[in-house]
Amino acid sequence: MARMISIGRVSSRLGGVALLALLGSATVFFVMRAGSGDPAIAVLGEQATPEAIAAFHRKWMLDDPLVLQFWRWLSSAVMGDFGLSMTVAGGTPIMKLIASRLPNTLFIGLYAVLIAVVVSLIAGTLSALRHGKFTDTAATSLAVLGISMPDFWLSYVLVYTLALGLGIFPSYGFTPPAESIAGALYSGFLPALAIAAPMAAAFTRILRTALLETLYRDHVRVARSLGYRDAFVFVHFVLRNALIPYVTVIGLQVRYLLGGTVVVERIFGIPGVGALMVDGAFGRDYPLVQACALTFLLSVLLVNFAVDLVCAALNPRSA
Amino acid sequence: MRAFLANRLALVGALVTAIVLAGVAAGPWLSPYSPTDADFLALLDPPSLHHPFGTDSFGRDVLTRILYGARVSLAVSVCGVLVGALVGTAAGLVAAYFGGWWQAVLMRLSDLLFSFPSFVLALFLMVVLGFGVTNIAVAIALIYAPIFARLARNMAVLVKDEPWVQAASLMGQSTWSIISREILPNIAAPVFVQIALAIAFGIVIEAGLSFLGLGVQPPNPSLGSIMADGREYFGRAPWVLTLSGVAISIALLGLNLLSDGVRDLMDPKLRARL
Repeated sequence: MARMISIGRVSSRLGGVALLALLGSATVFFVMRAGSGDPAIAVLGEQATPEAIAAFHRKWMLDDPLVLQFWRWLSSAVMGDFGLSMTVAGGTPIMKLIASRLPNTLFIGLYAVLIAVVVSLIAGTLSALRHGKFTDTAATSLAVLGISMPDFWLSYVLVYTLALGLGIFPSYGFTPPAESIAGALYSGFLPALAIAAPMAAAFTRILRTALLETLYRDHVRVARSLGYRDAFVFVHFVLRNALIPYVTVIGLQVRYLLGGTVVVERIFGIPGVGALMVDGAFGRDYPLVQACALTFLLSVLLVNFAVDLVCAALNPRSA
Repeated sequence: MRAFLANRLALVGALVTAIVLAGVAAGPWLSPYSPTDADFLALLDPPSLHHPFGTDSFGRDVLTRILYGARVSLAVSVCGVLVGALVGTAAGLVAAYFGGWWQAVLMRLSDLLFSFPSFVLALFLMVVLGFGVTNIAVAIALIYAPIFARLARNMAVLVKDEPWVQAASLMGQSTWSIISREILPNIAAPVFVQIALAIAFGIVIEAGLSFLGLGVQPPNPSLGSIMADGREYFGRAPWVLTLSGVAISIALLGLNLLSDGVRDLMDPKLRARL
């Protein structure tokens, strides 16, 4: 399968990722600087003396030409140095903050994708095979409900029923995967489920539609008439074709999924990049918000790159 | 129209949306209470005949707050999405019609905005623009403009080479009239579906931001800020969070069903099968 993905395609896609990352950094940087408010006042307070503000500007070199500031910021960012946070613990390196929190965010994100994929594969297949029957109606109605349930609202429903009501899961707090994988799987289940539910709904719908479109195609009928078993025909001739739009949609949903971590991390007290970004937003910590936004951007770009490769592997025509 | 009535889901969606809109429009006349004035004799009252949805920690009627809050949430989302749709669709049409560097720049820009988690983008814009109601609408518009630009461009590129468009241009119609009278009507339906979907998601963005405390500021109600409020005393008065959450879900359900139904109607492949 790997043979089908040409090196040229991979490198041109990687070039696109790098270009978008560069464009994104520039946009984030300049939009941030063009926005309202002086970080000095945000950090030092409205009553800060002009001398203190001037000293703050000198310290963070805010009076240099913007292009120079951008160049300095970009060249150190490429080396993995995002500078110091203006608010958190009086100047912790931002890279250290992000490095300690990114695994938690990625863990929750991946966990949510996993739940959504498992649920949607089952629900989507069942409702396509039992098209028009009760199972189908139930699965489709549940999917519409799932889409109408924003993650932060679902979080509270889950906390109220499964955590406070039945006491099966903790309602707050998170064991990082670095400490204990089992603990992270357990404590991360509710937040991951809250993010996964709308995804699962979207995935189920796309899989159902894609399966229904392929189930009655000629090549499937031919395969069946040749006497192959139903299960074999389904896996090799139907599912494989239907997986292409399915995987594409998973890639498209990644940005909603990572966006969802922001609120859910706050609700469940998960120390992730999203919660860090919200803290930075409240403290007007410009370099921190900037670095978090870029981290999210890079995550999405890399996931989409991977999804593209998977799609190419699934579909020999597009290679 | 007959097909629309035959599609039960679309009908239910339109009905729910209409009820939500009616409730939001009639809110001030439906309720005798003020959404912001405190009543310290009725703190955290459970649902009763006087207060069908109970009261919150300031003794304010929750149903009234939800009606007013839905107004704010809907207004923010609708304004943001409409501005985004207008600007985005116009940019996309121009890009499709004229092509060239404008199209290249526009598509790269929309690639970029597509690669940001939308809620992260909203959060980032709130920091840049400052917290508050108007800026949520601006953020929603900025998030949606590239989506509409891409949609309009992709649809218009398909329509542009159709014979009737070329005929119009041979007959000497002006560029403006070709774009507005020949191309626009043919891409209007998917744009409409996207608007309904975007308004639903705009409500989620507003609610999420206000829920975090970055959007609508207290004591003003919005669906998100009521939920944020209800979270504080969820244990003692679960109705505040629950009922405002249900309100959000109903609004989203209506919009999602409506856009789904309309999309089904437009898809000839699906229509044949139904």
